[in-house]
Amino acid sequence: MSYVFYPGCSLEGTARDFHLSTLAVAKGMGLALPEIPDWICCGSTAAHSSDPVLALALPAQNLQSAARMKTADGVPTVAVACAACYSRLKVANHHIAREPKTRQKVAQALGSDYDGSVPVKHLLEILGRDLGPAKIAAQIRRPLKGLKVVCYYGCLLSRPPEITNFDNAENPRLMDDVMEAAGATVLDWPHKTECCGASFSITDVTIVQQLTREILSMARAVGADCIVTACPLCQLNLDMRQKEVEERYNEKYGLPVFYFSQLLGLAMGLSGQELSLRSLVVDPQPLLQSKGIAVTELSRTSNEAES
Amino acid sequence: MSASTPLQVAPRAKELSLQAQEAGANVLSCYQCRKCTSGCPVSGRADIKPHELVRLVQLGQRDAVLGCKAIWECTSCQTCITRCPQKVDIAALNDFLRQMSLASNKVAEGTAVPAFNDIFLGTVRRLGRMYEMGLMVAFKLRTRRFFADVGKFPMMLWKRKLSLLPSVGRDSAQRKQLFERTKSGGASR
Repeated sequence: MSYVFYPGCSLEGTARDFHLSTLAVAKGMGLALPEIPDWICCGSTAAHSSDPVLALALPAQNLQSAARMKTADGVPTVAVACAACYSRLKVANHHIAREPKTRQKVAQALGSDYDGSVPVKHLLEILGRDLGPAKIAAQIRRPLKGLKVVCYYGCLLSRPPEITNFDNAENPRLMDDVMEAAGATVLDWPHKTECCGASFSITDVTIVQQLTREILSMARAVGADCIVTACPLCQLNLDMRQKEVEERYNEKYGLPVFYFSQLLGLAMGLSGQELSLRSLVVDPQPLLQSKGIAVTELSRTSNEAES
Repeated sequence: MSASTPLQVAPRAKELSLQAQEAGANVLSCYQCRKCTSGCPVSGRADIKPHELVRLVQLGQRDAVLGCKAIWECTSCQTCITRCPQKVDIAALNDFLRQMSLASNKVAEGTAVPAFNDIFLGTVRRLGRMYEMGLMVAFKLRTRRFFADVGKFPMMLWKRKLSLLPSVGRDSAQRKQLFERTKSGGASR
């Protein structure tokens, strides 16, 4: 099976570390992920709140671009890292493939017909299913021994299951499997798919603070050392807003918030620089050092040397 | 919803339900089990809770639903539709109501979501991709919230979470055509 990569806008900005670590891990796993060259924004929540046709036409145009990258193996599978992009691409395929009227409206907007058939997968599906835990385990050089993690999937990977077909909607396991293959101790917890309020990150921070507090508190209550995420907006809210949530509610969490690609990359022996660990706001170094996972490349001096 | 709100059937009530159905939300299947509201992450703060919203649509109470805050506070987390035993897509209903609320000029006061969406889509129309730095600055100017989160800018730049320059998608002519051909046509952009 061949893949083409749809990074999405967040991976070029706030989630640059997700981008770098995803590509580094894919390379280490021997996965080729050529980028769709002329990709555009999926439209995200702004589009589906504003215009039903635009909300499907934007992802559909990207899926058409992907279809043009057809090789001898056939139409490639679109690999996505951002949970929001993943959701929009899946939603577009779902409606266009099932509703002839919708397909026609989208074709009018695009100027050409798209049938909704280009397969879309999240990186976790590719790692956890297409490759599988055994192949991941074979690449592990520095197992994350003793690192207690909780996997936070957020909303849009598993919901609604009829559309994303990702995993169990209430208790997904894919990220747990990948982290276990990397040697981490994966804790069970009830907030795997709670909402962090991502779409209000700019418009109403009070919603975000209230929802992220519940997630951070629960992670701490079950004894996690850190949180693992698979969505740029979840990661940004839990990591960058952690300090202001601590201040607002007078609580202390001190929980580093990684992308699964960063922790997996560490386990594969990649450097802190290759995984852009410096982009994390809650400093992960004390935790990693206490678990004997040395990441010297993260230090300030090497950052300066690098820039 | 206040206790005094009359739960009356509005004239031509079914029309609104049928429009919602056309938009993907089969509101007439709802039997008020409240599972949606139980799982909704923002129902605690909502002026109209998800199950109430569906009921009001069934009753054709346009002004109540189009003018409420709750439709602008929905996080689109999809928990309601995932758990609904009747598969009433309240997330899709909210999209539909937001569009209708905007079109009929009934947006509740105090929400910044329409301004954000407008700037977001305007950026996508012009550049093809989101430009977070530009989005945040434009949003601040439009909503006059100059100081929210500005303290984070230096850290975000240092952590390489913000790019000073946008990433630009190619083929702007095709993209602009796409926007023209959809309903909104980017009129206000």
